[in-house]
Amino acid sequence: MKCRSIKVSSTKLIAKLIAAIVIAFPFALNAATPNHIQIALSSTNEAVGWYEEYLDCERVVGRNDAVVCGETNIEFFVGRTVGGSQGSAIDHIGFSVPDLDAKMAELESVGVRGSGVRLIRFDDGALVRDIPGLFKIAFITDPWGTKIELVQDEAVIGFHHIHLNSVDPVAALDWYNQVLGGERASLKGMLDGVRFGDIWLLATQFNDGRPGITQGRTIDHIGFQVAELDDAAAEMNQLNVDFRQDPMVPERGRSDAKQAFILGPDGVMIAVVEPGWEGIEEEAFSADNSDSEELYIVPRTPWGEPDFQGIWTADAAHGIPLQRGVGAGEAGELTPEEAAARRERGTLNSIWGYDREWRDTTLGYVRTAPSTQAAMIIDPPNGQLPETTEAYKQLVANAPPRIPPQRARTPVDLGTYVRCITRGPVGMMMPSIYNNGLQIIQSPGNIAIQKEMIHETRIISTESREGYGDGLKTWLGDSHGRWEGDTLVVEVRNLNGRTSYLGSSADMKLTQRFTRTGPDTLRYEFTVEDPAVWTEPWSGMFNFIRDDSQYELVEYACHEGNYGMTNTLSAARTIDAREAEEADYQE
Amino acid sequence: MIIRLKPTVFLPFKAFLAASLLSISSIAQEIGNYEPEQAWDGNPDINGVWQAMGTAHWDLQDHEASAGLPEMGAIGAVPPGQGVVVGGEIPYQDWAIEQKQANWDSRPTGDPETKCYLPGVPRATYLPYPFQILQGTDKMMIVYGFAEANRTIHMNVENPEPAPLDTWMGRSHGHWEGNTLVVDARGFTGEAWFDRAGNFASSSLIVTERYTPISADALLYEATIEDPTVFTRPWQIRMPLYRRLEPNARVIEYKCVEFSEEILYGHLMKREESED
Repeated sequence: MKCRSIKVSSTKLIAKLIAAIVIAFPFALNAATPNHIQIALSSTNEAVGWYEEYLDCERVVGRNDAVVCGETNIEFFVGRTVGGSQGSAIDHIGFSVPDLDAKMAELESVGVRGSGVRLIRFDDGALVRDIPGLFKIAFITDPWGTKIELVQDEAVIGFHHIHLNSVDPVAALDWYNQVLGGERASLKGMLDGVRFGDIWLLATQFNDGRPGITQGRTIDHIGFQVAELDDAAAEMNQLNVDFRQDPMVPERGRSDAKQAFILGPDGVMIAVVEPGWEGIEEEAFSADNSDSEELYIVPRTPWGEPDFQGIWTADAAHGIPLQRGVGAGEAGELTPEEAAARRERGTLNSIWGYDREWRDTTLGYVRTAPSTQAAMIIDPPNGQLPETTEAYKQLVANAPPRIPPQRARTPVDLGTYVRCITRGPVGMMMPSIYNNGLQIIQSPGNIAIQKEMIHETRIISTESREGYGDGLKTWLGDSHGRWEGDTLVVEVRNLNGRTSYLGSSADMKLTQRFTRTGPDTLRYEFTVEDPAVWTEPWSGMFNFIRDDSQYELVEYACHEGNYGMTNTLSAARTIDAREAEEADYQE
Repeated sequence: MIIRLKPTVFLPFKAFLAASLLSISSIAQEIGNYEPEQAWDGNPDINGVWQAMGTAHWDLQDHEASAGLPEMGAIGAVPPGQGVVVGGEIPYQDWAIEQKQANWDSRPTGDPETKCYLPGVPRATYLPYPFQILQGTDKMMIVYGFAEANRTIHMNVENPEPAPLDTWMGRSHGHWEGNTLVVDARGFTGEAWFDRAGNFASSSLIVTERYTPISADALLYEATIEDPTVFTRPWQIRMPLYRRLEPNARVIEYKCVEFSEEILYGHLMKREESED
């Protein structure tokens, strides 16, 4: 159940990748053939590789932005998205494989390798469900949010269907049949659809209001191929089809193909294409939706404040080290492959003994591609923490040795994170190996930031107000917010200083800045001023990525289920007892 | 004779209906013609910091003063208070009366509040601490100070899916009925209690809450409790919630974990040996 409202904010955005599925067929008039599907993502080349590797599609010769799956083209372009395909008018696309159990086992083993595969489990936890009378089915999403159904339908192997959400499926299928041809039929006598050659167009009743329009979602549109576009357009006009773009040859297209755009039922954007001579393809195809240089206009709440509401995660940022490796280039970014490898290393080593069953990245829950950012620290510009003070060096030199878990006397020896108290005002925002969600809800003058990990909620007031007095200090402090343009600036005061981030003292001053830099990107920057520890202030940043379409924060009842605390202390006492016994024996 | 048996069997339910009708009409009188301030969407504006008064957190029902932990003196004692249960009675099934008594007996260590566990619904509402309501654009959030409890209220979702998993604070769906925010909360673990007296429910608990502004600074809070595992019929609590009027009123994080560790882990701790 999704209750997101889609706030489409004109066409300005940071580059992401969009794919279009173009399904090509021989055309008889009034019998269009599916021609392509378009999907949004962040690197066309990466997407081509993914569809080649996992869905047996083939790269279209000479192109780094399209694959052909059977007769169906999937084209990718860099553009912006406002969410995955699920819940939009094109919910998902389907592929048929000869042995679904084997396929899912293969995909499950992929984990975060490369761009990763996100598995969707049924409510009983299974990956595959056998529908009596139909076939076995399973669901995954690609790394960019396109939902994919995998089926085991011996009749057709390869690209199998396009599945629509519709408020009136019968009317929708009739419309496709009437406008684009195909054959009204029933898949195994169980699912009504329209059949275009081997490919099914299916539709499911959508009960959650209206499905989202496809434009701007990861399946941006589907395309059907016709022999003579002008003739087809004339026929469509007689059927009162809603044209969004009249037939034309796009400028700077890869060929002289002619295309039009029409709007289907429930807001499905449909390209109708007359193939052309493709001899001019080397004129680098630049996706016409990738006007990425334009300024992003931050959406507003109904009461006029910048709108940060939604569910965000720090999964993409997981693995970004705080400091840049010594010797690494000034602004060096990682390649996507390096970033994926880094995130996997990060999730492997972050907590001792946490096997892959614990990690959201390896479980396939993570939709976001790993960040290619080299390091979090942006100031000093060398990406390194500033020099520490002499006083702090002395403090460290004289500090008592840290007590290892197996020697823990009381919970205090294990630290505030293990005790489920807090990761501290700096640490609480940092990425974690699981439960990385962050939910923001706003009311006039107030912003609640809820972190899933441990479960901690801060209410940041942007109204000028009297803060806590000197006698009141807390773990996360008193958050004073203000708007500087579209940036939320938060000064954290009245910290109790009982947690430390890399040595920070009780007098640390923390300032945080949140800026929405795209529909899916919330830039988070933090500045630490602590002259007792560091000789100059330092700042770090990373992005939270919006994941409204499928992520929901769960209640992280950390303390309530802290069996680790009982087990650790009990093990430490067992070690104590054994050592006492050995000591007695030696005496 | 046979016919007479049926009304007898149904009497408790009818009595409940009558009681609820009664309460609705008296609420109507109380609300009178109060027209609340409107939020951006035209619904009542109930944003703000609120708090219950009274002693419901000690015991939902009428209760006399009674002893607490002796070492705490009068501070630890239970103050007397008037109940908030409509009709006064909590209609426990027979087995549950015994369980409630067992909870009462074990309360110094058995009460989830003692252990700093998430308080659940409706208990979070009338813990003696302020909480804040934020009316967002398609969700609301209630943030409580104790144990940093928090609820997201998903607004206007038709045919909501069942809660994906049971949680202490449950899953909440809300909508407006006139000036009343109606919240359906369910999907609970069944481990939370209702008060320090050991009143309780199971994981089949469904709480239907109604928040109705009755003045600029007060909400009427009503919660209907349904749990066929524990009770013989639905029942209801009612109390006002008051706006905290201090200009700097805030919900202050109350991270209580450290105060529960002695109870939870004391038997596993190593005490520093004294030198003498």
